[in-house]
Amino acid sequence: MIEVKNLSFVYSPKTPFTTQALFDINLKIETGDFFGIIGSTGAGKSTLVSHFNALTKVQKNSGAVLVDDMDLSAKKVDLKKLRSKVGMVFQYPEHQLFADTVLKDVMFGPKNLGLDKAECETRAKNAIELVGLNFAEIAERSPFELSGGQKRRVAIAGVIAMQPEILILDEPTAGLDPKGKREIMELVLRIKQSCPTVVMISHNMDEISEYCNKIAVLKNGRVMGVFSPRELFGSEELLNNCGVELPLVTELAVKLNALGVSVDKSVLTEAELFEQIKKAGNYA
Amino acid sequence: MPFLEFKNVEYSYVSGEDELIQALKSVSFSVERGEFVALVGCNGSGKSTLARLCNGLIAPDSGQVLVDGASTTDKSALFDIRKKIGIVFQNPDNQMVTTIVEDDVAFGPENLGLPPDEIRARVDWALKSVGMSEHAHSGPFRLSGGQKQRVAIAGVLAIKPELMILDEATGMLDPSGRREVLDVIKKLNRDENMAVIMITHFMEEAASADRIIVLDSGRIAADGGKELFKTPEVFESVGLDLPLYVRLARRLNEIGMDIGCPLSADEFAACVSAAIKGEGK
Amino acid sequence: MRDVSMGQYYPASSPVHRADPRIKLVILLLYLVTVFFCNSFFSFGFLTVFVLITIFLSRVPILKVLKSIKIVIIILVITTLLMMIFYTDTKSTPLAEWGIFHIYLNGIYAAIKLGWRLMLLVLMPTVLTLTSTPTELCDGLESLLSPLKVIHFPVHELALIMSIALRLIPTLIEETDKIMNAQKARGAAFESRNPFKKIKAMIPVLIPLFVSSFRRADELADAMDSRCYRGAKGRTRMKKLKAKLSDFMALLFWCAITVCILFLKYNWCGWAFIAALAL
Repeated sequence: MIEVKNLSFVYSPKTPFTTQALFDINLKIETGDFFGIIGSTGAGKSTLVSHFNALTKVQKNSGAVLVDDMDLSAKKVDLKKLRSKVGMVFQYPEHQLFADTVLKDVMFGPKNLGLDKAECETRAKNAIELVGLNFAEIAERSPFELSGGQKRRVAIAGVIAMQPEILILDEPTAGLDPKGKREIMELVLRIKQSCPTVVMISHNMDEISEYCNKIAVLKNGRVMGVFSPRELFGSEELLNNCGVELPLVTELAVKLNALGVSVDKSVLTEAELFEQIKKAGNYA
Repeated sequence: MPFLEFKNVEYSYVSGEDELIQALKSVSFSVERGEFVALVGCNGSGKSTLARLCNGLIAPDSGQVLVDGASTTDKSALFDIRKKIGIVFQNPDNQMVTTIVEDDVAFGPENLGLPPDEIRARVDWALKSVGMSEHAHSGPFRLSGGQKQRVAIAGVLAIKPELMILDEATGMLDPSGRREVLDVIKKLNRDENMAVIMITHFMEEAASADRIIVLDSGRIAADGGKELFKTPEVFESVGLDLPLYVRLARRLNEIGMDIGCPLSADEFAACVSAAIKGEGK
Repeated sequence: MRDVSMGQYYPASSPVHRADPRIKLVILLLYLVTVFFCNSFFSFGFLTVFVLITIFLSRVPILKVLKSIKIVIIILVITTLLMMIFYTDTKSTPLAEWGIFHIYLNGIYAAIKLGWRLMLLVLMPTVLTLTSTPTELCDGLESLLSPLKVIHFPVHELALIMSIALRLIPTLIEETDKIMNAQKARGAAFESRNPFKKIKAMIPVLIPLFVSSFRRADELADAMDSRCYRGAKGRTRMKKLKAKLSDFMALLFWCAITVCILFLKYNWCGWAFIAALAL
C-alpha cells in the first residue's frame, strides 16, 4: 500500500529558478491495485512516482509518503528494505543494462540486497523465465547483442529479480511496435500475480483503460481526481477538464453520438462499442 | 524515370554475435515525386535499413538504389542525392548539431554553400512551415519532444528536398507530439508537393497516406493504396494492428451493416450514422 | 541542470551582447594579460571600475554574475584566508598570533591582492560566457584561428567538435542522472562512504553511459551526413561575423586601459611627460 498525504515538491528551492512540480497531492494505492497515472508531459507524473522508492526525498514540511509501515518523510529511511519492496521500471529500461552477461545484469539487484550467490541466481533464473525468455539460451549472452524487445525484458527481469511487492512502470511500452506492446502488457499481468500492486504511467489511453482499475489524473502538478476507467472515460466533460486524450474507443463513441447515433459513451473496449452500434442499428 | 527506385536490393549485416542477418531480401519498388507513402512493419522488419539505403548512408550488397537515375553507390553523386532526399530520425535529441534552433536549421543550407541571405530566407521559411518561428532563438532543452522533431523537420526542409523520409520520427513522442508532427508532414506534402515516406508502426498514421508498403522480415509483403485496408490479413499476418475503426467496420460489415472501409474516426462515424439512418428509411 | 544547454548564456539586448565575439575574445585576452600587470591597490581598483562598467552595460544583474561563479568565490575566499594565515614576514612583528599561525599586515595586503586578482581573472570570462552564446564563441574562435588553416590546422573541425560537445553535455548530464536513478532503484549504493566501493558502484552507470554516447554519436553522424555535411569544403555561414565600428572603439578603449595599467606599474608617467614635451 502506498499513501501520499499532502505531498508538495519544489525544484531548486531557494533559488530564482524555483518551480513547483507537485501541489498538495493526496493518493491511496491499495494492495492489489493496477493503478494508472496519466497526464501530459510535464504534469509531474515522474516526480510523483520517484517519491515512492525515495529516489526523490520528501522535502521538509511538504507532506508525507507512506509505503506500508514505512514513513518516507522520516529522517532515516531503510533504503535497502524500501527498494526491495518497491521495484521501479523506468522509461526505456534497456538503457540501464551494463553487465557482460544477462545473468549478471539480472543478478545486480538481488546482489545489492545482500543475498547469497545461490539465492541471487535462483531469483535471476525465475525472473528471466517470468519475462518469457529462455534461461539456458540467454543467461550467458551479452545483453547488448539482444533485440530491442529482448533487452527490455531483461531490464524488467532485473527489477523483478528483487521480488518487489509494488511495481512501478514508467511508460513500459514506449517505442515498441504493436506486437511488442501487447507482449509487454501480457508480461505485466503475469508479473502482477506475484507482485500484487502495479502502478503504471502511460500516455497510451487504450492501455490505461484496458488494464487499470484506478486512474489518477495529474495536471500541472495537481491531482485532478482518482477515477475508475468507466467514470473517467465515460465522461467527456471530465476528460476535457482534466485535459486527457480520449481513447480511440471513446472518441468513436463521442463522434457517433454527435451524428445522432446513440451509443453509451462509457464503453471501454472494441467489443462493447461493437455491441452498442449493433443495438443502435437494430442488428440482431 | 521514377524519382526513387529500388531494384532487387539486398542488404545484410553481421550482428553482435557474428550472425549474418539479412535485413532486406530482393526489395524492388519506386516512389514518384509528390507521393505520400507509409512504410509499415514490425521492429526488425528492415524499415530503418531501407531508409538509410535511400540516401546512401549505407550501400546495397547487390541491386541498385537510384535517385533521379543516379546510383547511391556512386560517391560523386551522393551530395546531390542527399540534397534531394532528407531523413528525419527517431530520437529528437540526437539530431541537433548546435544549441540554438535557428542555427541548427541553418546547418543544412550552410553545407550547400548558399549565400547568407538565401540561408536566412530558407531558415525563416522552414521554421514558419513547421510552426516554430517563435522558438527560433530557443535552446533544445526548452522544447517538448514534438517541438524538437518539428525543428528536425525544419532542418531537413531548409535543404528543400524533393522527398522527406521520416524514420519512426513519431516513435518517441506522446500523442499530442505525434499529432503535431503528422499535421506538419501532411501540410508539407499537400502545399509543397513534397514526397513523403513515413516509416511507422502506428497504423492510424499509415491510414493517412496515399500508399502503403508493408515490410515483413526484409521483404515487401504488400504495396498498394488505401484499398489494402479492405484486406486486413495483410497487416495482421505481419503482426501489425489495424486501426480500431477499420476493425470495427469490418465486424459491422460482416453482420450486414454496409459501411465500407472508413479510414479515420470521423469517416467511421459518418459511415455508421449514414448506414443506420439509411436503414431507418 | 538543464540550463547548461546554453552555456550560461543570459539572454538580453545590450551593447555587450551585440558586440562581435571575435573582438570580445581579443579584449578578453588583452584583459587577462593586463590583470597580471596590476600590482597596486590603485591599479586593481582602476581595472575593477571598468569591469563593473562592462557588467553594468551588459544588463546582466550583478547577482547573476556572482551566482554563476559561486564555487569559484568560495575557493577564492579559502585561498585568501590560507594566504593570510601562512604568510610569513620576518621583518615585521605579527598583528596577531595563535600557535603556529601569525598574521602580518603585509600578509593581509598580499592576501587581498591575491584574492582580488583571482576575482578579476574569473569575472571577465564569466561576463563573456554570460553575454555570448556557445555558438557565437565557437564561430568567433573559428574565425580568429582561421589563419592557421594555412598550416593545415583543422580549425573548422575543431570549432564543430566544440559546438557539438556543448550541445551534448547537458544531454549526457541528464542521461547520467537517469541511469543513476535506475541503478539506485535496483539497490546500487552510490551513497556509500567507502571511496573504493563508490568507484566500483559507478561501473553500472559508466557502461550504459558509454553505450548510449556511442549510439548518440552514430545517430548524430547519420543525421549530419543526411543533411549534406561534407566538412568545411564549400560551406558557407548564415551568420557572418561583422565587426562594427563600435567594436573597434571598444577594442581601442581596452588597449588604452592596458596602457594605463602599464604606466601605473612601470611609472612611465615621467617618460610619457617627457615624450609629450619633446613632441
